[in-house]
Amino acid sequence: MAITKKQKSEQILAGVPASPGIIMGKVFLLSGDVVKVAPRALQESEILEEVEKFRAAVAKAKQDIQKLREKAANSLGEESAQIFQAHQLMLEDDLIIDETVRRIQTEKINADLAFFEIMEKFETSIANFQDEHFKSRAIDLRDVKRRVIHNIQGNLIYLLKIQEPAIIVARELTPSDTVNLNRDKVLGFATDFGGSTSHVAIMARSMKVPSVVGLLQACQSIQTGDWIILDGNEGTLVVHPTPETTKRYQQRLDLFHTFEKKLDKIKNLPARTKDGKDIELSANIEFEREAANVSEMGGDGVGLYRTEYHYLARQKLPDENELFNEYARAVKALKGKPIIFRTADLGGDKLPRSIEMPPEENPFLGMRAIRLFRNQNQDIFKTQLRAIVRASAFGRVRILFPMISCVSEIRYCQNLLKETKDELKQEGVSFSKEIPVGAMIEVPSSAVIADLIAEECDFLSIGTNDLIQYSLAVDRGNEHVAYLYNPFNPAILRMIREIIHKGHQKGVWVGMCGEMASDPLSTMLLIGMSLDEFSVSLVSLLMIKAIIRRVDYSECENLAQKALNFTTTRDVDKYLRSVFSKKFRDIRF
Amino acid sequence: MMKKKFTIRNEYGIHARPAGQLVKTASKFKSQVYISKNGKEVNAKSIMGVLMLEAGQNSEVEIRVEGEDEAEALAAINDLIDVRTFDER
Repeated sequence: MAITKKQKSEQILAGVPASPGIIMGKVFLLSGDVVKVAPRALQESEILEEVEKFRAAVAKAKQDIQKLREKAANSLGEESAQIFQAHQLMLEDDLIIDETVRRIQTEKINADLAFFEIMEKFETSIANFQDEHFKSRAIDLRDVKRRVIHNIQGNLIYLLKIQEPAIIVARELTPSDTVNLNRDKVLGFATDFGGSTSHVAIMARSMKVPSVVGLLQACQSIQTGDWIILDGNEGTLVVHPTPETTKRYQQRLDLFHTFEKKLDKIKNLPARTKDGKDIELSANIEFEREAANVSEMGGDGVGLYRTEYHYLARQKLPDENELFNEYARAVKALKGKPIIFRTADLGGDKLPRSIEMPPEENPFLGMRAIRLFRNQNQDIFKTQLRAIVRASAFGRVRILFPMISCVSEIRYCQNLLKETKDELKQEGVSFSKEIPVGAMIEVPSSAVIADLIAEECDFLSIGTNDLIQYSLAVDRGNEHVAYLYNPFNPAILRMIREIIHKGHQKGVWVGMCGEMASDPLSTMLLIGMSLDEFSVSLVSLLMIKAIIRRVDYSECENLAQKALNFTTTRDVDKYLRSVFSKKFRDIRF
Repeated sequence: MMKKKFTIRNEYGIHARPAGQLVKTASKFKSQVYISKNGKEVNAKSIMGVLMLEAGQNSEVEIRVEGEDEAEALAAINDLIDVRTFDER
């Protein structure tokens, strides 16, 4: 009997669409289960930092284990929790910790390698034991090893190893993973965890690469080197596609390109409705080099410059001149168009290595954004403010303070800004006299008192991602409740309407820099609610402009009125989709 | 200095979880605490040391304590190993 070689059968995995676009390519699987280290010889001057890096990785691991231990104690009982006590003790044991430090210092090798080899030695000993149960407990050592090495490397080692363009498939990607990767090789992202507003999703949109999250089991069915199709519009992955499927996707890709070509024509036209209402359409950026793309893509400015990168990418805090140089380059690249600097929004899921952070039960309700600086790290905040104010000499700078939850917080920021300006003036440093200040409205309390906050500043910017998360009590990264996270929830719509209304009452303009502003389904709704400024991801900018240019303000007002009358999220969603698909047959979203 | 011999009776011996309990208990005291098996002695305040003894079920170990609170330390360890058998049923 003849044996025919069977092709692996096609498999379609469904997830959550996180960044639009379709891409075909090879997989690079970022597996958290395999620990790899590469030897690196240290210079004398690097040793101290390497030891610190190791100690920080161990401290972080101990914190994480403590959390697991508490979780286990609650759900499984004290006996199960005690295994984590053993893990913690391993990370306090001189035979591991002091020995690793000694090897880093005397052999001048990298921390992950030194630690890896010591743990391997113990694992080998255990593997040679007679007692079967003891042998099986080598898993505890592996667990601790993986945790610490992961902290040291931040997955860096895998990502740097990407030699050819690939689609990154991973269980999850942390902010530190994504800030370190070599972007030019990344075709797209697919992760098992996370929702459409998780860090990797926002990152992917900013990088303009298609991405799907919340796939749950992708890592188990995919291997490095597999050929897959990633559909960021539908939120699917096709593994081992048949030739027919490939052809079908190729045709869709062609359609997409035609659409993009048409969009290019409106690059230099204003974001103005048919009946003449001008909208400020700006872009969200994460890196200074993206500033140049904003003008090129026909944006009116930068509505949100996320400034966390410098604090997350490295061990050391950035100094003022380093920040100033980068900020000044961004301001100059905009050639007189406005740029909104959002001061560092650290804490929550963005934990800087350079700032000592106490472990928190609820980081999103804790030392986040300006709260991180208000009591103990004010000098870090001030350094950033000095850099921003100095950069204002080169163009139109606006400052946005994140996570404002009450009037006293915005006053604190205004006072610190004034102090900063006074100091710079005394030092004879030049800066712009006109630096408008805004408050980010992303906490329900400040939405309720948006009028009082507006009295303290020059503009408001609605951060929908957190506003929704905090208002609906939904963790946007938790795939079990992510379905509740929806900007079309009637409570959210009313809140947005009220924020805009209260801002206008006090004579300040109101913008939006959250993901909702980039969603084509929301555009008419937000115009109808009289939103003044949209700050969108670069990849959506022209599509949003195309929509703005094809609608009447009056028709949007009617639509908003109607949308606000529905009682459920589903009804709002259904209504907006039906209007959209009738009105914009040629726009795929 | 005080010494006492024990037979390890819990099901899997002093594997990771019980080793953690022993280290935690020993570390509460100022005294030096050592554990030995077949002539090999290690610091009972080091989990890796204790694990490397491979003290499985029915193995004979000896605890040696030395210091100002040695009696209390030995009593606490006796309680853990012999009385509570590492809290296993």
